[in-house]
Amino acid sequence: MEKIDRKEAIKRAAALMGGVVFAPSILGVLKGCTASPGPWQPELFSSRQAAFTTAMANTILPGAAEQGVPAFIESMVKDIYTEEQREMYIDAMDTLIEKCVVETGSDFAELDEQAQFDFATIENTNAVEAGYAEGPQFFLILKELTMVGFFTSEYGATQVLRYQEIPGVYQGCIPFEDVGKTWATS
Amino acid sequence: MNLNLKARQNNTYDAIVVGTGISGGWAAKELTENGLNTLVLERGRNVRHVEDYPTMLMKPWEIPYNNQVPPEEAKHYQKQMRTGYTIRQTTKHWWVRDTDQPYEEVKRFDWIRGYHVGGRSIMWGRQSYRLAPMDFEANAKDGIGVDWPIRYDDLAPWYTHVEKFAGISGEALGLPQLPDSDFLPPWELNCLEEVLKETMAERFNRVLTIGRTANMTQPHNGRGKCMSRNLCSRGCPYGGYFSSNASTLPAAAATGNMTLRPHSIVDSVIYDEELGKATGVRVIDAETLETTEYYANVIFLNASCMNTTLIMMNSISDRFPNGLGNDSGELGHNVMDHHFRVGANGEYDGFEDRYYWGRRPTGFYIPRYRNLERNDRPYLRGFGYQGGASREGWQRGVRELAIGEPLKEFVQAPGRWTMGMTAFGEMLPDHSNRVYLDRDKTDKWGQPTLVFDVEFKENEYKMREDMKNDAAEMLEAAGMKNVRTFDDPGGPGLGIHEMGTARMGRDPKTSVLNGWNQVHACKNVYVTDGACMTSAACQNPSLTYMAFAARAANHAAEELKKGNL
Ligand SMILES: Cc1cc2nc3c(=O)[nH]c(=O)nc-3n(C[C@H](O)[C@H](O)[C@H](O)COP(=O)(O)OP(=O)(O)OC[C@H]3O[C@@H](n4cnc5c(N)ncnc54)[C@H](O)[C@@H]3O)c2cc1C
Ligand code: SF4
Repeated sequence: MEKIDRKEAIKRAAALMGGVVFAPSILGVLKGCTASPGPWQPELFSSRQAAFTTAMANTILPGAAEQGVPAFIESMVKDIYTEEQREMYIDAMDTLIEKCVVETGSDFAELDEQAQFDFATIENTNAVEAGYAEGPQFFLILKELTMVGFFTSEYGATQVLRYQEIPGVYQGCIPFEDVGKTWATS
Repeated sequence: MNLNLKARQNNTYDAIVVGTGISGGWAAKELTENGLNTLVLERGRNVRHVEDYPTMLMKPWEIPYNNQVPPEEAKHYQKQMRTGYTIRQTTKHWWVRDTDQPYEEVKRFDWIRGYHVGGRSIMWGRQSYRLAPMDFEANAKDGIGVDWPIRYDDLAPWYTHVEKFAGISGEALGLPQLPDSDFLPPWELNCLEEVLKETMAERFNRVLTIGRTANMTQPHNGRGKCMSRNLCSRGCPYGGYFSSNASTLPAAAATGNMTLRPHSIVDSVIYDEELGKATGVRVIDAETLETTEYYANVIFLNASCMNTTLIMMNSISDRFPNGLGNDSGELGHNVMDHHFRVGANGEYDGFEDRYYWGRRPTGFYIPRYRNLERNDRPYLRGFGYQGGASREGWQRGVRELAIGEPLKEFVQAPGRWTMGMTAFGEMLPDHSNRVYLDRDKTDKWGQPTLVFDVEFKENEYKMREDMKNDAAEMLEAAGMKNVRTFDDPGGPGLGIHEMGTARMGRDPKTSVLNGWNQVHACKNVYVTDGACMTSAACQNPSLTYMAFAARAANHAAEELKKGNL
């Protein structure tokens, strides 16, 4: 990632980020991965990368691994990213894995929960504060993938947020308590 | 009996309709209800209402890849994807593959299409507005293009006719520039939209109303009401919005007079030099490539603006060496769309304790207010806005400091209210904006392909200044913070309101169709899709195509009875 110039980096970050979350709202069964509970046999990630992804997803959103979010993340990187985006992602992931070893003396996946939370918190703060101007922030890409996987999973949408499959009517201005939580879909 | 004659009889109908989209569905319904034995030809596959909407009930956790499409698949849809929203896991089966359906661009043109029974009536945005008396008078008044051969009063009863059947929800306002439809009850505005509405009335003497949409707020004509899911482009299990599949085609089928033939690509209209009229159409079977001729006394071309134009250009005879009905040389010229993607958005502090229930399948609408009584702006004509307000969702958590349990808590409360709007502006007809055939470059069915040479011109660019600045001014006046403007026209075509290539007019020397949508010099061919439009106005056009199709079909039925066709 260091090799590309800043303008290009911002462009690519926008491409990576923009595509994933801010999506507005063949035939027969659609094939491909959704976040759903079940075992995960990584196909693209090494076991070290998979362990990192699992631990980090669970740190960003506790319970994410149980909902199949790590497998979802891998499928997005493997099947939806372009080759270039995929390489960038893997490089940046390896860089962060190494950075954690340098700073803490241990693989992220091996740290205890508190140390994981502390490391991830610093990474998140740095990435948020760097903002768009500093180019692609790998941590935010990973965070976004984790959030997308989690909040579109059945558990995340229905238990953490509010999901109503068939609302029946539209009411434009009601007390927030009547809904209680953020809508999972818009 | 001679075998050829028998084959000819088997392939003979009273009427032929080409295309099953919004306009073709209406032609089919009205012709069959008038007792005409009608062949309806559609180039794409069949799509049965409900049964063939494979994704209509999918929940978020059943949709792979967060609804995104892998790059190997996306490469087939590079032009369709220019909208930014068309090619999704849940909707990709409704769009043409650009690799199968190529076209060329002298200048960028975004031709967004779906080829299957129902056409784009399945995926359309459902915004439905009448044109106004002033719109039919505008060309004559400004000396632009040619005069419409009809006036609003000619079409008004037919607007009512189609609205009663289709089911259009909205609020009656009595505005001269935006006549009311025959409405079902309106959808609600939300808290913040009400604020903008009040501000506009008080500060600007302008109107904001709920979007008029073909989503039904109550059961109507045997179809269920919309359940506020906002998943229309996947197809509706309740028939809650107007599509050919849910509405007009079942009505046509119920008469027993319709023969629907999918996989039938109409190549050209057959013109009989001796009879001086059209006798049928040549059809390529999309699966076998076999060519068959079908015959009828009257032919309706409803293949959508550009495809109808293609068929006409491809219908060459001694009488019409430059394409059917093209004595004027205007066929393929005067391409119009609406120009949009210019406006503003902003954030609002307040209403933290208010929210909404359900997913409304429409937004708000701001009817045109510029250049109404007087032309006092540096451009002709005007624009309307479409927009909406909502609260930020869980996505806003990505750029927040929280992670872990605090992140979950953070996103469980909705974020700030935000509001945005984009203007839709009128595009003037201009002879130099045109589409033509490339006969050397054919598609896999051997059909010539289209070349687009269209651009927005000075009037559109001048109008965009108001479209942008007015939006920001109104949002700021309503107390919005961080108001930002945007202006990115994209290519013409992106409005998906392409029209004008076989315009109606009074004079056969300067127009292709007469006041009944008949080809001037070949009266048993009617064109009632976007190709017929003489000017664009700034309203979404499909309701007008419905009204034209119904009016013309009833005219054709009468003329047939009188022996005039
Ligand atoms: C995403 C989207 C949003 C839209 N939103 C709105 C909106 O809010 N309001 C509005 O008014 N309009 C809207 N539109 C535009 C609207 O969909 C069109 O104006 C309308 O569908 C045009 O109707 P039509 O019958 O001319 O063509 P279509 O609906 O496109 O149907 C044409 C049919 O003809 C068939 N065909 C083509 N060529 C041939 C041939 N050679 N032989 C046989 N059959 C052929 C096609 O396969 C197709 O089924 C929107 C469109 C899209 C895509
Ligand atoms: S939003 Fe309404 S009309 Fe659209 S698909 Fe859902 S229920 Fe049907």
